[in-house]
Amino acid sequence: MGRQLIFVIFALCVAMSALLLLIIFAEPVAGAGGVAHPLFKGMSNGGDGAARLEHIGAYAYAFQALLLALIVALSTLGISERHRTPRLRAYMIATFVFSLFVLWRMVAGHLHFLATGETSFFMGFPTPTAWAVYGVWAGALPLMFIYVIGFRQFIYTEEDEAEYEQLLIEIQRENAEDER
Amino acid sequence: MEAYRQETILAAVALYMLFCVATGIWAMRRTSNSSDFFIAGRGLGPIVVSLALFSSTLSGFGFVGGPGLVYSIGGSSFWMITISTAGYALGFFMVAKRIRMIAGVRNCISLPDIVAVRYGSDIVRMLVAITIVLGVMGYLATQILAMAVVMQAILSGTTMFANIGLVACVAISSAVLIFYCVTGGIIASVYTDVVQGGIMMAAGILILLTAMSVFDGGMTEATSVILRDDSEAIMPWGSAGIMASLGWFFVFGLGVAGQPHLVTKMMMNRKISDNRHIFPMSVLGYVLAALLWVSIGVIMRATVIEGIIPPLTAPDDAASVFLSLFTSPLLAGVVFAGLFAAIMSTSDAFLNIGTAAIIHDIPKAIRGKAIAAELLWARIVTVLLAVVAALFALYSYYADATLVALLGAFGWATFAASLFPVVALGLNWKGATVPGAVAAIVSALLINFGVQLTGIALPYGISGGLLSFVVSLVLFLGVSSITSPPKLDHDIQRVMDI
Repeated sequence: MGRQLIFVIFALCVAMSALLLLIIFAEPVAGAGGVAHPLFKGMSNGGDGAARLEHIGAYAYAFQALLLALIVALSTLGISERHRTPRLRAYMIATFVFSLFVLWRMVAGHLHFLATGETSFFMGFPTPTAWAVYGVWAGALPLMFIYVIGFRQFIYTEEDEAEYEQLLIEIQRENAEDER
Repeated sequence: MEAYRQETILAAVALYMLFCVATGIWAMRRTSNSSDFFIAGRGLGPIVVSLALFSSTLSGFGFVGGPGLVYSIGGSSFWMITISTAGYALGFFMVAKRIRMIAGVRNCISLPDIVAVRYGSDIVRMLVAITIVLGVMGYLATQILAMAVVMQAILSGTTMFANIGLVACVAISSAVLIFYCVTGGIIASVYTDVVQGGIMMAAGILILLTAMSVFDGGMTEATSVILRDDSEAIMPWGSAGIMASLGWFFVFGLGVAGQPHLVTKMMMNRKISDNRHIFPMSVLGYVLAALLWVSIGVIMRATVIEGIIPPLTAPDDAASVFLSLFTSPLLAGVVFAGLFAAIMSTSDAFLNIGTAAIIHDIPKAIRGKAIAAELLWARIVTVLLAVVAALFALYSYYADATLVALLGAFGWATFAASLFPVVALGLNWKGATVPGAVAAIVSALLINFGVQLTGIALPYGISGGLLSFVVSLVLFLGVSSITSPPKLDHDIQRVMDI
């Protein structure tokens, strides 16, 4: 799985580069990166949200989805190959699906607002923004749970600890012999 | 108490600075060698490491620039905060365990030490050390300048120090920073970080509560005001648009695992198993402190739009104007102390890794061995580095800001792009090679420098940092795949298997 995973990561990075190029060479939209507020110096406006997504929206959403996949793939790479069990893979896939769900709710909410001009509010923010603020932040919480709860199962097992302690003892012994 | 606002703020900041000095004196007795000076002898507990980790992440930028960014571009800047869970997750999954193991096996005291033993290459050590030194100069200069500007603003409001100059403020703030960093090294640094982290969390919570009371309808009313004025500003992608937001999401998310001042702290814990506690505590601390960033920014944008307060002269005034208009003097004092804490906790971390690069890593890369009397030289170079950075800050302020702006390019994004592949991927993939590492570092430096020098503006708000990060990842993986991996030493091989 080790070699496959690094190829997946490489493929994700290449795909993201390709999307970045498509966005760079897409038809430009004036003020896509914000325009100065007509009244207040130092403030900028986003203007027409639909217009600035028109040529790149799909690429940008795909870019974000790939980024979410990359975060999960890299986290999996950080786990020793011998602990990448089917259960771990299932947890990681569930994490990715959960973060994709948050992305979908956020994007759908934003597109609905652009189409209708209507939005509800949740905990101080328009709902699509609330998905971005609370949802995206919480989207990686499963990774934290896997790390904290599964620490002795996936990250650093009792056997890992014993093996590392043994390695340290061997090195100390070798160093002592060298000094002699 | 309102009549004594400036005096109260001054007292809070002075109290905090006295604490830093006292910590320096206390830590000096616990610093007996260069390992103590640079990595606290790898003996820190989980609470200390987690507070040190998050407080070093959130620099003065989070307290001054963050609210200013929300005022300026709305929701776009939220992405720097919301990615924190994933960012720390990557740091802990990919770096925390292995960097601590290698540090233990080989007695490494710096990040370049780690990459040198991982790749068996002094070229990679040298490149990482040079990247760190260049980044440290830019970071330190801007942090010292920020500290001095804030101090001048506080002192000039009092009768006694009404005419104090910027040079005097640079001297005072640098002197405190130098004192505790030189005497107590990283031990003083991390223990001041503990208090700094506590102040920052308290400030974040208290400011959120204050911000929610500015409008009768709380944050919902404030965001409704912004929505009516320009809906995109408070929608998920903010004023700066989707690619600027995703750029920050990418660079600040993956980038945590490439920040030398943060990953170095992952070498300092006593036990590797403490990581399971350090990770959630760091995330919690960061989020609580970042409440200040979001709440001040949103309230200031809404109050200006509603005509409750006049427009700000500059977006970076958002925090100071909010504190002067909406908070009690005591809370303002706590937040200003928190601001100094944020700046100093980042500065001391950079001072430490910069010194390590100069007296430990560069000589080792050139001569193949460390210099004699490392601890003495560490203290001398810490002073020199801080003095040069302070002079550099003053030069940039009074004469020419170009050089600092250029070195500013060696900020978070450059560290992320150049070091993430080499460190985070390199510690987890045996196929990573020296040419791959060199290609990643060089491409990241060239693209970031190139974009900064030429002033190229990429379409749709795409940042040079995002472009360089993606390119360096592809080059690192691609070049490593077609070149022969170095033969790993037996102990490193075993560490990478665990």
